[in-house]
Amino acid sequence: MRASLLRSPSPLPGFGLSFGIMMAILSIVVLLPLSALLGRGLMIGPADLWDMVNSRRIWSALELSFRAALIASVFNLVFGIVLAWVLVRYRFWGRKLVDAAVDLPFALPTAVAGISLTALYAPNGVFGQALAPLGIKVAYTELGIWMALIFIGLPFVVRTVQPVIEELDREVEEVSATLGARRTYTLRRVVLPTLAPAALTGFALALARSVGEYGSVIFIAGNIPNLTEIAPLLIVIRLEEYNYDAAAAIGIAMLLISFAMLLAINLIQIWSRRRIGLV
Amino acid sequence: MHIEIEELAKEFGTERALHPVSLAIPSGALIALLGPSGSGKTTLLRILGGLEFPTSGRVLFDGSDATGLTVQERRAGFVFQHYALFKHMTVFENIAYGLRARKRRERPTEAEIGRRVNRLLDLIQLPDIGARYPSQLSGGQRQRVALARALAIEPRMLLLDEPFGALDAKVRKELRQGLRDIHDTTGLTTIFVTHDQEEAMELADLVVVMSMGRIEQVGKPAEIRARPANDFVRSFTAA
Amino acid sequence: MSDITFIRAESVTTEPRLARGLLIGGTMALIAVLLFAPLIAVFAEALRQGWAASLDALASPDARSAIRLTLIVAAIAVPLNAVFGIAAAWAITKFDFRGKAFLITLIDLPFSVSPVVAGLALVLLFGAHSTMGAWLIANDLKIVFAFPGIVLATMFVTFPFVARELIPVMIEQGRAEEEVALTLGASGWRVFFTVTLPNIRWALLYGVLLCNARAMGEFGAVAVISGKIRGETTTMPIMIEMLYNEYLSVAAFSLAAVLALLALVTLTLKSLLEWRHADVLAATRRH
Repeated sequence: MRASLLRSPSPLPGFGLSFGIMMAILSIVVLLPLSALLGRGLMIGPADLWDMVNSRRIWSALELSFRAALIASVFNLVFGIVLAWVLVRYRFWGRKLVDAAVDLPFALPTAVAGISLTALYAPNGVFGQALAPLGIKVAYTELGIWMALIFIGLPFVVRTVQPVIEELDREVEEVSATLGARRTYTLRRVVLPTLAPAALTGFALALARSVGEYGSVIFIAGNIPNLTEIAPLLIVIRLEEYNYDAAAAIGIAMLLISFAMLLAINLIQIWSRRRIGLV
Repeated sequence: MHIEIEELAKEFGTERALHPVSLAIPSGALIALLGPSGSGKTTLLRILGGLEFPTSGRVLFDGSDATGLTVQERRAGFVFQHYALFKHMTVFENIAYGLRARKRRERPTEAEIGRRVNRLLDLIQLPDIGARYPSQLSGGQRQRVALARALAIEPRMLLLDEPFGALDAKVRKELRQGLRDIHDTTGLTTIFVTHDQEEAMELADLVVVMSMGRIEQVGKPAEIRARPANDFVRSFTAA
Repeated sequence: MSDITFIRAESVTTEPRLARGLLIGGTMALIAVLLFAPLIAVFAEALRQGWAASLDALASPDARSAIRLTLIVAAIAVPLNAVFGIAAAWAITKFDFRGKAFLITLIDLPFSVSPVVAGLALVLLFGAHSTMGAWLIANDLKIVFAFPGIVLATMFVTFPFVARELIPVMIEQGRAEEEVALTLGASGWRVFFTVTLPNIRWALLYGVLLCNARAMGEFGAVAVISGKIRGETTTMPIMIEMLYNEYLSVAAFSLAAVLALLALVTLTLKSLLEWRHADVLAATRRH
């Protein structure tokens, strides 16, 4: 058995082969392309990158992408916790069907979701017609973008929180009741903090997914510059103009903001897990 | 507080966990519910604490009907076998929990809560662990914190489900004496569940031997040793 | 007296009946609006002019070539990602080496990158203006605006699926069984095929299922790199967009309905796997 500085010895074979296959595919599919993007950014230089990003249209698009993703993910955070609770703790007709259906947004192609939501919420669609008398327009407004992002981000929090609820220790809820706490107090002070780390993981996944979402949004957004034009669409437009530098600049800006957000969420999570002694 | 149990029965579906049982518990006593698993002892304890509700029968606290009281209304200090400490709260926050959960009118001030928690930490002889989290405590320390948390609400009685069940033999002996001392200091009617006859005989004033949902015998440890009511009691309490 | 007992006979670890009813009613109403309505709308729009119109739309040369291309792309991208997933899980769970945590982060990376940015990155790497692109052109190889690019883009967005399912399962199963097999004289490949693979087959199938669903439905990354050449680089989702933008609603929704049916099949198989093999798949949920 060869042992090296980097690897402790193991009697099992196949390290070279499996590691080689993994690194080869990882490099060609993920690492090289992303390096090409970042390399392009370096070639352009930070000053020019900033100049290219620093326009009202791009800032509006970036702001819209992150704002809408945040709003949709917060909705999904709250709804996801409640739905997971209902699916695990209550017994009712159709529960198993709904439990299975929660993953629909993972399975349904985004373009399909996009045109279907548009058909529903367009002024002549079923929901669009119902909402029109109330003065609410969904399709071709920012509200439509929220709806699309709520759809695609819906399963994340449910799926991360569900196993935690299943494994909750009922005695902890019981002890809270014997100490005189009302049910709402128990839920708020005992149950919710226990679900928080998992809920936050789901929130981060939903946020990352919705920030970069393209397929489900572009149909319902209307894509009006400065108003309902999301950042990924702007990249596509620049590419269609063969303006690769500008496209790369927006892409890099999106990457940086996404990673900053995920880093922040990870830090909150490490902090909250350490508090309950999981790390 | 003295407790009377009148013809109390509990069914889970078609399963009879408790046949109608009756029992009178004098105020200030330290009682052991002793029996093998499935004897109904934990069910009886949980009914007293308001965590289960009987299928029929009554429970009287100081002579008044408590059968329909909610768990919150009963003010029973309940200690679980695995303690059920709140993992995301410090020891201090755990003990203060019941006081902070009260309605605003009845809630003590933060300063008063602090005084009471520190007094309880002294009582369980762990004065310096208020800032720690449950994950940083030993099994014996966790058990004592759970006890202090139950005492913080100024309970009318103390109910303990296998309080020493998850501890090793040495710690178990120490904490037995600890529970006896706390009982003698507070004078609370205390009921604990155990399957360990030695523990029941050594610690309790009165032992209730249970089997298959029935009470087989009630008596002082010496009485039960000397005059077991039937073969089950004889074999189960044989040291 | 007995009435009181009856009313109170509920568990203390649940909410009052009224609250439960409201929560169930509220969440189910939202699920109906948010999830079921869009699903039903796909089929309703597809069948707006009847079955015949819908089937005609699917029989058109463009639709058929889109279906064929989508199937071929998935047939290449999904097995490649499965091979990657198995290799990665084997290297990561059977050996200890430095930088493992970082490597796992890299494998998960595609989930936090916008599909459009993924497509853009591939265009920048292989496009005509790049060093690599120039070399490819000189050798008469096309990746961008061609079939290989679509496969690469699809692999990028579906990259973590199989590995993510396999790694927790293989960590939970440990190395003991493989080590025993070795002591009994089995060769490496024999150990893999007779010990490891049977242990992970359901988790592998689960990962492949999710990977395939995403692969056949990917839009953003493919939209950027395919160049949308009609009949050549249009996958089903791209074709749906083109038809929709040309106001050929029935044709667009008919193709969409085919993908929606595929999604329903995926969900059904996934649920079956979860119910039948809950023990193995539980590991992937616990992480």
